[in-house]
Amino acid sequence: MKIRFWGVRGSIPAPGPETIRYGGNTSCVSVHTRSGGLVIIDMGTGLMHLGDELLAGPFGAGAGSATILLSHAHWDHIQGLGFFGPVFVPGNSFAVWGPGGSSEVLEEILEGQMDPNFSPLQTLKNFSARFDVQAMRLGVPLTAEGLTITAREHPHGATTALAFRITERGEPGEPGEASRTFVYASDVGQPTAGGPDPDAVAFYRGADVLLHDATYLPADQATRRNRGFSSYEDAAAAAVAAGVGRLVTFHYDQDYSDDDVDELVAGCRRALDGRGGAAIGLVPAREGDELEI
Amino acid sequence: MKVRFWGVRGSIPVPGRTTSRYGGNTSCVEIRPRGAPPIIIDAGTGLRRLGKALMEEAFGDGRGEASILISHTHWDHVQGLPFFSPLYRAGNRIRIFARHRDTHLEAVFSQQHGAPYFPVPLSAMEAEMSFHALTEGARFALGGATIASTRLNHPWTALAYRVDVDRAAVVYCSDTAPFTDLLLGREFMVCAPSLDRPLPPDVVAELARMRASVVALAAGADLLIYDTQFTREEYRLRPHWGHSHPDDALAIARDAGVRRLCLFHHAPMRSDDDNDAILARYRGIAAAAGDRFEVLSAYEGLELALGDA
Ligand SMILES: [Zn+2]
Ligand SMILES: [Zn+2]
Ligand SMILES: [Zn+2]
Repeated sequence: MKIRFWGVRGSIPAPGPETIRYGGNTSCVSVHTRSGGLVIIDMGTGLMHLGDELLAGPFGAGAGSATILLSHAHWDHIQGLGFFGPVFVPGNSFAVWGPGGSSEVLEEILEGQMDPNFSPLQTLKNFSARFDVQAMRLGVPLTAEGLTITAREHPHGATTALAFRITERGEPGEPGEASRTFVYASDVGQPTAGGPDPDAVAFYRGADVLLHDATYLPADQATRRNRGFSSYEDAAAAAVAAGVGRLVTFHYDQDYSDDDVDELVAGCRRALDGRGGAAIGLVPAREGDELEI
Repeated sequence: MKVRFWGVRGSIPVPGRTTSRYGGNTSCVEIRPRGAPPIIIDAGTGLRRLGKALMEEAFGDGRGEASILISHTHWDHVQGLPFFSPLYRAGNRIRIFARHRDTHLEAVFSQQHGAPYFPVPLSAMEAEMSFHALTEGARFALGGATIASTRLNHPWTALAYRVDVDRAAVVYCSDTAPFTDLLLGREFMVCAPSLDRPLPPDVVAELARMRASVVALAAGADLLIYDTQFTREEYRLRPHWGHSHPDDALAIARDAGVRRLCLFHHAPMRSDDDNDAILARYRGIAAAAGDRFEVLSAYEGLELALGDA
């Protein structure tokens, strides 16, 4: 599978000359499968730019379909939806899986974003594409786009966010026939300074790529623990404990300049090495970058 | 007074290389009367940066006061509010003015600001916040400044504001469609209506009345800030989105006899080079037409001193 980063920033888009290298758009990641399937994870402002690219292909002709996974409904994870071109092309279809516990609740939440006080779209019903909203069932694997997807609920400040474990089976007989696994774990609260949650580690275990919340430098996290984000230390500790192949740092604080993120990435490398994770590859998420598993 | 632009973009913030000169933050303009608290128009993502700057002043010690005039509550005009640092400091006083809604204004902002969309509810803000619902055409005093307003042509309507202070006037007209082809209200239009079909006479009359009010509001202003999200060609494809174009802005500026016209609410996809080209083109058009006003294009960090600065 091919993973691409469309938005890597946390909380609110951060335009400006000082965020150009890593990018200022909020959370959105695409996963293209070997068999041509498409999974989109989170709908931050990066989604608008993914949409523009998709319109050049089958989505422009109303012949596209994709699965969308939503971690939670904070603005920085849904703001791109009203600007996602493919939902305005009749014939396209989207299956959206997210939190909320019931499909009615999740649909209501997404409707709230389109409320006429806030959005000229007024309601999701004004989308021209098929847009089916369903609640993800925790612990029950979902099969979509030829992938197996499971979700886990992480603490995230006063609320929770879903993490997703996505597995693509290898083709029998080919070299590297083993399955490949990508875990998306953004907006992961670390309520205490202790080690990583064993259940979370079990969920990440053995992933080829773990994308993990690395919103903060440790010093900043210390004063903002209630906000429900991880530092690069937390990300490194989880990656080492779970024995993953590569770690992707993600969801950088909106106030961090590119130089700050460079420092965060260098700190994360040292944290991995210091914890016995020298073999773990470190991939800082950068808007536009692509990663192949 | 001083006028400073913190966010000049429409619809959605657009970070990136191609927008870094004009800026990718959404609508937010700071008006600073001489020796008086700021009057802020719109609370798009530009408000986050303004908030940080204000924390260097009285707001950092909880002694700040600001008024925020909201044109309308579409996301690109309110998204910065939860990230406005002065709200998180006890002692600061923030007054928010917006056109009245069916629901109480505070309820509208609470919906935007609370679960499941944002982690900190409005009720948890430390600063003292008050909400003031305005009727269209409202006129009132804010310290030494006089504020006047009128209705714009935008889905679910928006308000234009005029701020008179320090012997100068600035007028903010965003978001609005031209007052010629359709009257935008509560109805949602899936596709662009035909611009060639004749309008019912009552709609024509209402649009003419609205345009006359906008021209009257802007009469003789030192600075007119105007929604020019579209080019004229783009407008014809999406008139129902409720945005205007520079040709219309020039006509309003001419009729109102303003001194400067500032193009504003740039389309998300407009690159810096596109904005340069549009500005050059309309400076040329204004010069050829013998217009006496100066044409500017808003960018983040642009600061203008007007009247007694
Ligand atoms: Zn987030
Ligand atoms: Zn707008
Ligand atoms: Zn609007």
